[in-house]
Amino acid sequence: MSFILRRILFYIVAFLVAASINFLLPRLMPGNPIDIMFANAGNSMPPEAKKALAATFGFVDRPLHEEYFLYLKSVFSWDFGVSIKKYPQSVLDVLMRALPWTLFLAGTSVVLAFCIGSMLGVYAAWKRGGAFDSIVSPSALAIQSIPALVIAITTLFIFGVGLEWLPTSYAYKPSLDPGWNWEYISSVLYHALMPVTTLAFVSIGGYLITMRNNMIGQLGEEHVVMGHAKGLTDARVRYNYAARNALLPSMTAFALSLGSVMGGSLITEIVFNYPGLGNILFQGIIARDYPLIQGQLIIMTLAMLTANLLIDFIYIFLDPRLRKA
Amino acid sequence: MLKFFSIILRNKKAAAGMLIVLAYIGIALAAPLITSHDPLKRVTRPHQEPTMEHVMGSTRMGRDVYTQFVWGTRTSLIVGFAAGLIVTVIGTLIGVTAGYFGGWIDETLNFITNIALVIPQLPLLLVLAAFIGQSDPFMIALIIGLTSWAWGARVTRAQTLTLRKRDFIEASEQIGEPSWRIICVELMPNLLSIIGFNFIGSVVYTIITEATLEFLGLGDPLAVSWGTMLYNAQTSSAITVGAWWEVFAPCMAIVVIGIGLSLLNFGIDEVSNPRLRTLGAINKAVKAQKKFDQSYKSAKGAAS
Repeated sequence: MSFILRRILFYIVAFLVAASINFLLPRLMPGNPIDIMFANAGNSMPPEAKKALAATFGFVDRPLHEEYFLYLKSVFSWDFGVSIKKYPQSVLDVLMRALPWTLFLAGTSVVLAFCIGSMLGVYAAWKRGGAFDSIVSPSALAIQSIPALVIAITTLFIFGVGLEWLPTSYAYKPSLDPGWNWEYISSVLYHALMPVTTLAFVSIGGYLITMRNNMIGQLGEEHVVMGHAKGLTDARVRYNYAARNALLPSMTAFALSLGSVMGGSLITEIVFNYPGLGNILFQGIIARDYPLIQGQLIIMTLAMLTANLLIDFIYIFLDPRLRKA
Repeated sequence: MLKFFSIILRNKKAAAGMLIVLAYIGIALAAPLITSHDPLKRVTRPHQEPTMEHVMGSTRMGRDVYTQFVWGTRTSLIVGFAAGLIVTVIGTLIGVTAGYFGGWIDETLNFITNIALVIPQLPLLLVLAAFIGQSDPFMIALIIGLTSWAWGARVTRAQTLTLRKRDFIEASEQIGEPSWRIICVELMPNLLSIIGFNFIGSVVYTIITEATLEFLGLGDPLAVSWGTMLYNAQTSSAITVGAWWEVFAPCMAIVVIGIGLSLLNFGIDEVSNPRLRTLGAINKAVKAQKKFDQSYKSAKGAAS
């Protein structure tokens, strides 16, 4: 169990680092940090609200370390201040409304891409040098180097604008009310089809290549030869002997890729005008809504750390050695 | 050095990648010669389809897309290589130091690296870029370089750790070679392929990320680069009004340089790790084996 404890401790430190970056950055900029951060707040916010907002970020006349603890206190009590662009809504409300869509988009596509990519990778490694491998693996390499931005714009243009098969914006038909009925769910799925496919497509190549290369390494190992020698079926050797071991480094690659998938999700949402964090951020950036921009770093870091913790648990399941440690 | 190149270029992937990269470098260098307009000047009517005069059409602002593409190539390549260099230098320094010296140095550096890996990149870059204001491409290169070294450090450290236990390193230590000499003369040459891999990968990553940040509106709107082209296209709804040519040029530019650099990278990887080869090499080996088996069998048949 000490493995999980150590990981959790590590995640707490990582979270503190992200929070400290938020605290230090405005103070490192030339000029008055309060003026920089709330430059656009003058017209929309009454002065007392502005003062309260400044206090949330630790801008009080005290020594720096006290300001720091004040800021940490706001972060740990889930107070990220109010959004300047969407005043008087709080940053947390604005972000939390958008977060489920981003998690839905990123989560669905990353799981899809990992499963499909890894399966294809196992197969490509098994038939190494065959027709499948020599077509799929180089294409995966090529796909891997195409950014989400380009794929999103291209699919939007072909299937959304050109062929008009799929909707070009929103997460569901605006005339529908959210609820657990078929009409609403089907509309959500229909609207998610293009962004999810885009995102999955971006990361599938990487998982395929990682799995293929790990698998090739495994196939040369003695336990795999042993499996063959025992007369086990190909499928059993492939999945229970080789793939299970090859999956461990793949999981590490998976954990490392989560950050870029989240980034990709932000971009995809903007292109498809999807109501996730990306879209909110795009508006926030244009309006220089600093509390919002800082808030998203905290929220995204938290999402990333939670996902990593989940992966740690999966790791324990996959690697029996960690259970004893 | 020449020999090194000729070995790498024998690999088809690497050669194709090299060709693409050289073509881009050519475009970037020859920018003033192959364009005749100012990339930021209105030279024709807005949203003109590609014609003989304006081969890639014009933007919403009536600027020539081809000219912007050519000058943008220059920006993107410089930013990509500059940030790639920063990433590689920091990553290699941290990775080698951690892997070679071990102990508390390794623990500290590894801890920092792991934290840098787990904090999501793009959200962090958004915060940095937002505070810096409208960052020009070089500022963007700097912040990407300073925040993206972790992956390279991790890989370099892992490789250094395996090399550290080899006999030739231990032998050098026993004859009392100073650490700097072991690192520079004994370790570095064996890390070259990983450092190269890291560098090229970082260049691709930077080019994509720079375009992304600028697309998000965090760049300097007056800079000419593929990212600002996409940003202007997005804000003028070029896609929804059907002006595909405004996004086609920067998109293709990013895709092709990405593929080119990746091909080069994986080509080099295959040269240094033959087990990863696809296509030709393995097929040839399999065929040769079959041929050998057959001739062996027929020889045996003839003998009995």
